[in-house]
Amino acid sequence: MNNFSILFRKEWRENVRNFKILWIPLVFILFGISEPLTYYYLPQILNAVGNVPSDMVFQLPEYTPDQIIMSTIGQYQFIGMLIVAFGFAGIIARERKNGTATMLYVRPISYTGYVFSKLAIMGILIIGSACIGLLANVYYTNVLYGAVDAVAFIGFLGTYSIWLLFAICVVICSSAAFSTGIASVVSILLLVVVQLVDSLLGTYWTISPWKLPMYAGQILNGNLDKTPFFWSLTVTVVVVVLLVVLAVYLAKRNVSKAKI
Amino acid sequence: MKTLLHVHGLTKEYGKEKALDQVTFSLNKNTATALIGPNGAGKTTALSMLAGLLKQTSGTVVIGADLKGDIRREIGFLPQYPQFYSWLTALEFTEMVAKLSGLDGKNAKSQAERTLDFVGLTDAKNKKTGTFSGGMKQRLGLAQAIVHKPGLLLLDEPVSALDPMGRREIMNLLKELQEHTTILYSTHILNDAEEMTDQLLFLRKGQLVEQGSLREVRDKYANPLFKILFVNTEEAAKFVEMSPWPARQENEVVLIHLEENKPGMNEVLQVLAKSNLQLSKVERASATLEEIFLQVVNKHE
Amino acid sequence: MDLNSIPWMLILPVLIIQLLLIIVAVIDLYRVKYTNGPKWMWALIIICFSIIGPVIYFIVGRRNE
Repeated sequence: MNNFSILFRKEWRENVRNFKILWIPLVFILFGISEPLTYYYLPQILNAVGNVPSDMVFQLPEYTPDQIIMSTIGQYQFIGMLIVAFGFAGIIARERKNGTATMLYVRPISYTGYVFSKLAIMGILIIGSACIGLLANVYYTNVLYGAVDAVAFIGFLGTYSIWLLFAICVVICSSAAFSTGIASVVSILLLVVVQLVDSLLGTYWTISPWKLPMYAGQILNGNLDKTPFFWSLTVTVVVVVLLVVLAVYLAKRNVSKAKI
Repeated sequence: MKTLLHVHGLTKEYGKEKALDQVTFSLNKNTATALIGPNGAGKTTALSMLAGLLKQTSGTVVIGADLKGDIRREIGFLPQYPQFYSWLTALEFTEMVAKLSGLDGKNAKSQAERTLDFVGLTDAKNKKTGTFSGGMKQRLGLAQAIVHKPGLLLLDEPVSALDPMGRREIMNLLKELQEHTTILYSTHILNDAEEMTDQLLFLRKGQLVEQGSLREVRDKYANPLFKILFVNTEEAAKFVEMSPWPARQENEVVLIHLEENKPGMNEVLQVLAKSNLQLSKVERASATLEEIFLQVVNKHE
Repeated sequence: MDLNSIPWMLILPVLIIQLLLIIVAVIDLYRVKYTNGPKWMWALIIICFSIIGPVIYFIVGRRNE
């Protein structure tokens, strides 16, 4: 771990200089505030756009604050996951492929420190951006739809962050294992496709990392099913630890694949 | 002389292909060793294994007793085509790798500055490496390899990508370094090898086919010879026909190999005088490394 | 819809962030050496597709060398 801070500084400089530190939070905030706005003003927008027969009345359901927040999570679960998978699939694989990593790998670096530097920068960028975005989201929801319980929101935010940590570890581990292209496909499969499958067929089981966002929503609306939530959380944390260990092992093993 | 590194039976197999086959050699402290051989001979493979980037299939590498702790701290490696993080400046990069090699904060920065001065990148040290030319990248590559003052410097084709000026400068830097560093470098430019070498290692198809000091190898392969330059190829051809000694023609030049110092210069000149052939130069020479190289390679063909 | 009834305090941040995203993407496009595909095409994509344009540029268009 002794090289963590040196390597983290490199990651930080990269993501400041390629503007990821700006655009990722901006995108998450944008979705965070446009979601409640769009729902709230949708009837007026439709009316303003016109072409609607005057006798036709839009019967939009009345939304509760937690439904608006969960609808934002729906956006994050798709667009956010695409950003995580495509924006970071090369986090280890790319520097191995283009040969820049060779000059790190010949030095006495700790691969644990190496993987953790990647984990830390992704955590800051992804979890940080999602949290800022959801805070903006809860502010707008509060103004337009009414109050959200603060304690429930913190529980929701924490749970969703654990899911994001899982997503980050999936991407880092695939990047340690495969080339950038394969890593992005594997990440999309595991984060978007499996998520879809889990939501379609998932009534048959209750314990899964992919269900954490759903349980986060339950925390928010106060109908949490405690036992499956607890087990899903435990399973996710265990999988996260395993993925990190695996990523360290694979990063080290694939040193020989670095372009020399 | 103290041995710094001893390599025994180093072998690397990719499936059935042997990239390196039972290579054994030693490096003495503060000497320069040139690893020469045609492309695909296994030079890069050998250097990568010593640098710890590749694992050998079999064989041992023993590093001398005065290198203690994590040996990667004592190794500097310059890849053939060094690649850098384009968003870092030369100084940021050099400082980072110095720290990764174990230098503490303050030391790393001043050492990085000094090293960049040494390789001639003083003016470019605060520029992003993404803007660097090939020659500048090679210099920065050398800087990152030596910034932590390694005991063993492994260089893969350090000068082949450079123009003659750059090559000269880098070779001079290497000679300076060689006074207190053990250097193992690969090259296919034999003039460079001739210039800075205490030991030659000839690799061919993964095998070490010849090794020794430049003088040893020269004595073994390059019998001294006469080079006779004629005005044209016809004249040269006529001489080959009438020559009392075995002679070989290369365009306008005829080569006669000496055996036990025979023939002498006088005899050659007498024959030439009688022949009435038009010639422009006669000299007694020893073979260049290039000629030795061809002989070594051909011998093992 | 009457202009006064538009809650500008709520809408304004959306517009500002969109603008910021476009500016960041354009600055980056100007600074990088290479993109996947011609630069003018990316400039169009960034400006015409307001939210998704800059995101697509950063993920697909930017070449991370």
